[in-house]
Amino acid sequence: MLVLTRKRGEGVAIGPDIRVVVLGIKNGQVRLGVEAPRTIEVHRDEVCVRIQEENQLAARTPVVPLDVFQRLLRRKTA
Amino acid sequence: MVVASTRFGTLNIPAESLLTFPSGLLGFPEWTRYVILDHDTDAPFKWLHCVEEASLAFVVIDPALFNEQYQVTVSPEARGEVEGSETDELGLAVILTIPSDDPSAVTANLRGPLLMNHRTRLCKQLVLSEDYPTRYPVFSAPRRAAHTLILPLAEAIPA
Repeated sequence: MLVLTRKRGEGVAIGPDIRVVVLGIKNGQVRLGVEAPRTIEVHRDEVCVRIQEENQLAARTPVVPLDVFQRLLRRKTA
Repeated sequence: MVVASTRFGTLNIPAESLLTFPSGLLGFPEWTRYVILDHDTDAPFKWLHCVEEASLAFVVIDPALFNEQYQVTVSPEARGEVEGSETDELGLAVILTIPSDDPSAVTANLRGPLLMNHRTRLCKQLVLSEDYPTRYPVFSAPRRAAHTLILPLAEAIPA
């Protein structure tokens, strides 16, 4: 991992068109500004990790017990 | 085309029913081609089955079946990835996680829904900035009327 020390207002450039700037540091929290083309998705990484982990869990479903869904079926006809 | 499935054996899938996820699903970037398997039963869920990996499949459902309030914002980037035009009918589905030890505790991933363009057959798993849970309990949700499996975008996303 590349480690860089930056002050408030300083940034790093990633490739030709992505820039990450340190906007502020307060109470152990760092505010970052990200400038990137609209085609680049920028997310808080914990959200992506949570979805990824949920996908991996969901992919392990062997079969669906149909009886569980009877409740939803009843709703459909209710 | 013939598709191998560890769950369902050998399946014969019409090529036109293929769906492509150009970015894959999160955690599964190497697999991009899937089909939706319909069941003979009137079960409300369907299988999203990978055609490239016999063991990879997800249970998906129309979120409107259990949460009428669920609405998502589709970013221009996401719309671009599924090559959605103004008139394209985009649909939404969500992935279910069904715990094997307690299947009634099934949850739906509302944070990472699947966006589907019915015309181009291109799909994308969204990462929503809205604060929806990845584990929304399906059966403790209030009673809801049923709609079709894939929610039309016009209903899902208010202007």
